[in-house]
Amino acid sequence: MPNFRVNGLSDDELKRAAAQAGLALRVDELRRIAERLGRDPSIVEVHAFDAQWSEHCSYKSSRHLLRKLPTEGPTVMQGPAEDAGILHLGEWNGEKWGVVIAHESHNHPSQVVPFEGAATGVGGIVRDVLCMGAEVIAVADPLRFGRVEDPQSHQRYVAQGVVDGIAAYGNAIGVPNIAGDLYFDERFDDNCLVNVVSLGLLKENEIIHSAAPSNSAGWDIVLVGKATDASGFGGAAFSSVTLDEEDQDANKGAVQVPDSFLKNVIMRASYAVFRYLRENKITAGFKDLGAGGIMGCTAELCSSGGFGAIIDLDDVNTAIKNLPPEVIAIGETQERLCWVLPGDVTPHVLRIYNDEFSLPQVARGACATVIGAVQSEKQYVMRHGNDIVMDVPIEFLTGSIRDELPIRPMSERKVTDPARKYVVGEHSVADLLPKVLAHRDICSREPLFVRYDGVVRGTTVIPRGYANAGVIAPVQGSPLGVALSVAGNPRYGKVDPVLAAQYAVLEAVRKVVAVGARPLGLTDCLNFGNPQNIEHYSEFAHAIDGLALAARELGTPYVSGNVSLYNESKTGNAIPASPIVACVGALQDVAAVITSPLKRPDSTLFLIGRPHNAAGGAVFAELVEQTGGPLAPIDYDRAAAEIAFFRAASDGGFLLSARSIGNGGLLAALCAMAFPTLERSAIGVRLTGPASWTGGVVGELEAYFGEGGGFVAETAQPDALETIASDGVDLIRIGQTQNAPSLALESSQFDLRELHRIWRAPLALVYP
Amino acid sequence: MAAKVAVLVFPGTNSETETWRICRDVGLDARIVHWSQAATLPQFDAYVLPGGFAYEDRIRAGAVPAHDPMMDYVIEASQKGKLILGVCNGAQILLEAGLVPGTGPVRRPTAAFTHNGPVPHFVCKHVHLKLAVEPSRCAITAALAKNALIPAWAAHGQGRLAATPEHLREIMQGGHLAFVYAHADGTVNEAAVPNASALGCAGLTNREGNVLAIMPHPERDAWNYNHPDRRDTGDILAPSGGVKLYAALAEALNLA
Repeated sequence: MPNFRVNGLSDDELKRAAAQAGLALRVDELRRIAERLGRDPSIVEVHAFDAQWSEHCSYKSSRHLLRKLPTEGPTVMQGPAEDAGILHLGEWNGEKWGVVIAHESHNHPSQVVPFEGAATGVGGIVRDVLCMGAEVIAVADPLRFGRVEDPQSHQRYVAQGVVDGIAAYGNAIGVPNIAGDLYFDERFDDNCLVNVVSLGLLKENEIIHSAAPSNSAGWDIVLVGKATDASGFGGAAFSSVTLDEEDQDANKGAVQVPDSFLKNVIMRASYAVFRYLRENKITAGFKDLGAGGIMGCTAELCSSGGFGAIIDLDDVNTAIKNLPPEVIAIGETQERLCWVLPGDVTPHVLRIYNDEFSLPQVARGACATVIGAVQSEKQYVMRHGNDIVMDVPIEFLTGSIRDELPIRPMSERKVTDPARKYVVGEHSVADLLPKVLAHRDICSREPLFVRYDGVVRGTTVIPRGYANAGVIAPVQGSPLGVALSVAGNPRYGKVDPVLAAQYAVLEAVRKVVAVGARPLGLTDCLNFGNPQNIEHYSEFAHAIDGLALAARELGTPYVSGNVSLYNESKTGNAIPASPIVACVGALQDVAAVITSPLKRPDSTLFLIGRPHNAAGGAVFAELVEQTGGPLAPIDYDRAAAEIAFFRAASDGGFLLSARSIGNGGLLAALCAMAFPTLERSAIGVRLTGPASWTGGVVGELEAYFGEGGGFVAETAQPDALETIASDGVDLIRIGQTQNAPSLALESSQFDLRELHRIWRAPLALVYP
Repeated sequence: MAAKVAVLVFPGTNSETETWRICRDVGLDARIVHWSQAATLPQFDAYVLPGGFAYEDRIRAGAVPAHDPMMDYVIEASQKGKLILGVCNGAQILLEAGLVPGTGPVRRPTAAFTHNGPVPHFVCKHVHLKLAVEPSRCAITAALAKNALIPAWAAHGQGRLAATPEHLREIMQGGHLAFVYAHADGTVNEAAVPNASALGCAGLTNREGNVLAIMPHPERDAWNYNHPDRRDTGDILAPSGGVKLYAALAEALNLA
């Protein structure tokens, strides 16, 4: 078996040899491997370590920081230890139901080949949920693109290809897309962000773990899915380096090829296997193949059970003859999963995949097949032909390696001039509101989400466009509801990564609260620049502190997450700090759900929350060219009190409609509530002057467009609502709904139909 | 005894669960039948072809599954007068199998549900189906009111009826245009059509009226929780809205 020469080479020679072989491993890491093995590693081994020790798999520069995140609480069924976390949804018919959630990024591949990159992103996250033994019930997509104004630009190509890829894959597998968000910024020109969130449903006693079970020595390792080919070789390492414009063609080989058709069948076949195992009370291990391919998956499966493994690469179903062993072992061909099964169960499972669901007829070379066995000796061994091509201590391969990189303390961050810079009176609300509504981060998202199937499965209660969060009723015959939201504002990330992280949590939580749900828990996907750069690594480290603080204050633990570093091009264009958070909420009865469309004329509108003069990161501040000011600070006592009050009001049935306030502030929220009514009997809004509800201490523009948060709510019982408000809550009457399609402010009046036209137009240019 | 209905699953079908649920909720004895169980099909009284992307829409949506061995049984059943309902991808398959409008030989399609217009992309949009023939013209719609409106979700990339002008005239004159797209108040105009479908076509039936192919999904707006207007009307889990079409199918089967 050929070796990769380490011993006897100088550091410079080794560095060159590694680069030539396309390895991301550093010289010190290569020497560590050779030292531990007591010999030069084989070609297969060196590629295995390259994948397994990449940031993507090992979290080497993030794991110790991520430990700061709160991960426990009464809502947690299973924390962040496996491919996905699980939250307690509620009880129904004496059974405890859990919601599985996973959150990942597929940023680098989507920048290079947008359609395939985004599609495989959906495919990967769905497998993470599936392999917990869950039925996949929803997906969501937070997206960040560069400047798309030029129709010929790569950025436009990326923005369109990503959405088409998500649509093609998600629609075909039959999982509704119920939430998402979309922002644009020039700092995403070279690195788009494609995050995907997926939800699954299971009963507590049905969880299948991503580990070889305790008594599994000698059990079969069964590979299921697409025939292994040469696609996606080096994918994990590719995700852990910066993107170089000139390498883009070379990088395409590292991107996997999705097959949503095969996945559709594999999902359904796996559901049948779940039923078989449950009926026969069989414990098994199940895990999806992602980074590091067969090697990464089987090594982690067996290592987390405390075992080793022997894999025979000749038994892998390949699409092409004579693939090099390192490609079979480590390539990231999509649509594959791996079971650890007792030998007498294997034939039944193979029958379900290969005969009942006829995988070999569905896709050429696809099947379920035995490729190896679990062994008690903690050694990871791979055979190919007559050779042992890999033989390493399994814990050395999968154990945590750690890079503690330097962090700059917080206090050194520059805080720019907090004072108001624009001239009061120079910008009128009448001028600004249409511009805010047409802003690329505010305008209607319908041209995008109309391409996604939001209603397949027949469980959808709130599809996209009708509330801050999507809601489904996934448990057949039960009124239990699941709400899902995402948040993470890159304009905030540019101003203050720490506060941006806190706002991502607060906004995600508020969004599920706004539909009447009880927040259960969170996931985070941390999209940042190159960790070798002290500025970016410090942003990353401090943002985690922000995520931890906000989650503790609001009592919402994290159950899964993902880190995507190196979102930087070689020219140094790094993305803004982009911590993106998803929040899952529960509804005891979906009949009590609250949507944002206004419900009736002459009801009362309340602001729940306190307007603030700080306007950093707000859309209107960008429009009046006031950049760099601080974000509004977060008062957690007030925020928590507002959320508690809102929940009491929604549980008490006092609210007709509501929306959380974020992007574009109060007026953007009110417009989003009024616009859907234009289709039928239009309901408009009449507000009193902001001086009367802010006590005159907050400017008019800040009151209307400030993004400090809170909720706006419509009620027919204003007095009753006021009586249940406790002292710590700012509950402010700001106006009434009216039986006319207009938005009437003290200073100006708007035709809602005209505003609606302005709001709908911009994104339709990108997504015709 | 409840009528036995097969909900067919081809490789790539994705809407079998909700379709099976609504059939069960209207009192039918519904079973999901996979392609590897095709031989069990003759025992059923009726067949529902649900939505999805059977054989990943190769060539054209519905073209390949129309030649799946399961369709041998469905075609035979249609010739015996059994009731057959296709929804979305199921409708595309019935059209490609020549069962609707049914004016030509079997498996020689005379028209197509093809890429949406004016811009060819997938559209997920709430719509209304309006019955465009006398209810009794098609056995499955016989229990519906004249001009019945059925809420549904259009969710397809290939739902635009395309045919020669002569064939479109034949479809009209032969009473094959079972459903058109309409607004919530029943108004029919171009703005109600989500995909630029010829004739505003949302559904077709055959000459005998035992086969119905509709593009939008009534089963995705078929329980109170699915729609804001019905969430505070009694049992949130009760079937409503789009259930009308499936209830009519059940009534037709119970009379038979």
